[in-house]
Amino acid sequence: MNTALPSEDLLIRMQRDLKRAQTKNPADIKWTMVIDVAKCIGCHACTIGCVAENKLPPGVVYRPVIEEEVGTYPNVRRRFLPRPCMHCMNPPCVKVCPVTATYKNQQGVTVIDYNRCIGCRYCLVACPYAARTFDFGEFYTAETPDLPGKLVGQKTTEEGYEAHPAAEYGKKWAKRDDESPVGNARKCHFCLHRLAVSMLPNCVTTCVGRATFFGDRNDPDALVSELLGSPRVYRLKQELGTKPSVYYLR
Amino acid sequence: MKERGFKTLMALAVLGLIVGSWGIVDRFVHGHISMGFGSYVPWGLWVVFYLFFVGLTAGAFLITIITYVFQVKRFKSIGRLSAFTVLIALLCELTFISLDLGHMFRLYRFMITPSFTSLMTWFVIFTNVMVIIYLLESFFLLREDLVLWSQDKKRKGSSIYRMLALGKTSYEPEDRLRDENRVRILSIISLPAGLLFYGTNGAFFAILMNRPIWNSALTPLLFIMAALVSGGALITSLIYVFQHDDELVRPLGRIILFLLCGFIFLEILQFFVGYQTATVGLVTSLNLIAFGTYSWTFWVVHLLLGSLIPIVLFISRPNDSRAIAWACFLVVITFVAVRFNFLIPDLAVYKLEGLESTFFHRRLRTDYAPSLVEWLVSVWIISLGVLAFLAGTRWLPILSSNRRGGEEHA
Repeated sequence: MNTALPSEDLLIRMQRDLKRAQTKNPADIKWTMVIDVAKCIGCHACTIGCVAENKLPPGVVYRPVIEEEVGTYPNVRRRFLPRPCMHCMNPPCVKVCPVTATYKNQQGVTVIDYNRCIGCRYCLVACPYAARTFDFGEFYTAETPDLPGKLVGQKTTEEGYEAHPAAEYGKKWAKRDDESPVGNARKCHFCLHRLAVSMLPNCVTTCVGRATFFGDRNDPDALVSELLGSPRVYRLKQELGTKPSVYYLR
Repeated sequence: MKERGFKTLMALAVLGLIVGSWGIVDRFVHGHISMGFGSYVPWGLWVVFYLFFVGLTAGAFLITIITYVFQVKRFKSIGRLSAFTVLIALLCELTFISLDLGHMFRLYRFMITPSFTSLMTWFVIFTNVMVIIYLLESFFLLREDLVLWSQDKKRKGSSIYRMLALGKTSYEPEDRLRDENRVRILSIISLPAGLLFYGTNGAFFAILMNRPIWNSALTPLLFIMAALVSGGALITSLIYVFQHDDELVRPLGRIILFLLCGFIFLEILQFFVGYQTATVGLVTSLNLIAFGTYSWTFWVVHLLLGSLIPIVLFISRPNDSRAIAWACFLVVITFVAVRFNFLIPDLAVYKLEGLESTFFHRRLRTDYAPSLVEWLVSVWIISLGVLAFLAGTRWLPILSSNRRGGEEHA
């Protein structure tokens, strides 16, 4: 058999890694993401997959893909850099939150308690990666023509089209009015609600180039642990000492 | 202040409240949808005004320093006016920042789940300390007149004054001595409290390692100086308008001139060190201040109207209290530009190269222009502050030189 070709899709292996991790004590897991920028084709499927999964409103994005042109003509290349939340091990956003609404969970994921967040946006200012966005309460369907609506409040199209519940943090955040997560800081949470049911984060699943890897870095047999041994590994803005849990491969 | 001026200001404040109420209604009905800022410039005009009013509270701090550190007892006579000004500035500051929050009704979270690693928590604590100090100080400074007024049967609202005096019906010389002693103790406490308050406000920004201009040990010092300049200039203008005391205005003018020059020197240092360091983020932020879209606020509003003209007035007419008052007034109103140029440029630089060309949305841009609602709400809060201040000078014994009460001063 030709071993040069992968014997299985990397997703299958990561899925197996995930199931193995979930047999462990949760405190022993450290979720980690590895992104191979050499394999990223800049299709933005992860961005859109994330928006769809988390029902993100306009202006809120958890995982944009930064596009860069490097080199000088004729030696130019495009480079793509997906940028989720870095889930730093020394997170500036956690330190500045005045009401402990944002914190590290047992598995090293930086999470936000939407019902505690006061919307001061100090964390947005503190994040060196601009990984947080504020939910202003906007609707994609805000400009959609509609029958005369109520004098005050949302239109029926907004209520109908964008009322599908988001499942972030394992809760149903259905109606978008003035309640959370509207008025909150929002960010990538490694799809904790999917992990809870043994599913990989949506950006990993939707990556057509298989450039995004996910797993428990405390498991030496996991794919991510294998990749972290690569000499191509680097992290963004390492000089700041934030120690991101998202690693890149050059 | 003359009756005509008082009525004109009152009318303007009422007009401001009426016009601004549109913005307040919009803020409560639509939340933050009408705001001009976004996620990359997440703080806007309301935070600018919040910083502005934090600075304006420093007038009393300056007077306390002069009175108790430099032992110039003459300044004690403006204790009431300066303490009351602090309360009004704190009222405006707290209103601005509360409306800026995404969930203002969760402010109680500061009490039940505070994080002491956050300088915002400490700033809230020191703000409350300031509110308590100046509420108590105002009360002990005003109590004698409040008791007298509550006993004056001819005076309208004597029952309100009785309530404000907490039911006290007589005021003996021993009470006066006791209250003076309490005010002295509160003023002395206000010195370290004030330093912590203004210093924490600066440190709040200084600790953010990804913000090149702010992330400097100079920032807390800059904030203390900025507060002393703007707060001192405000109290000097108010003394001229409400107490006409040239003997106080002239020395205060000299102090403001010294502080203003010191502040400009710190600004020059900031630019010099920044351009010499020449890191991309720092130079980009400084270039935004000096050559960006709002550079006119730096050159024209801050440096020309708010610094050069006042300095010329201070130096050329050192004994003309009217000129000094005008110079101080210019310093105060143009100081909004200083706060704007501190806050916005460091936010308006992308923190990751290429971020500007991905996922287009108006909330994901670094160009910021305050929206109409932001302006209207600002007008509303400032009008509320002006109205409360004018009402205080008219119906409370704020203007202390005359024991008969404030009405005669109006």
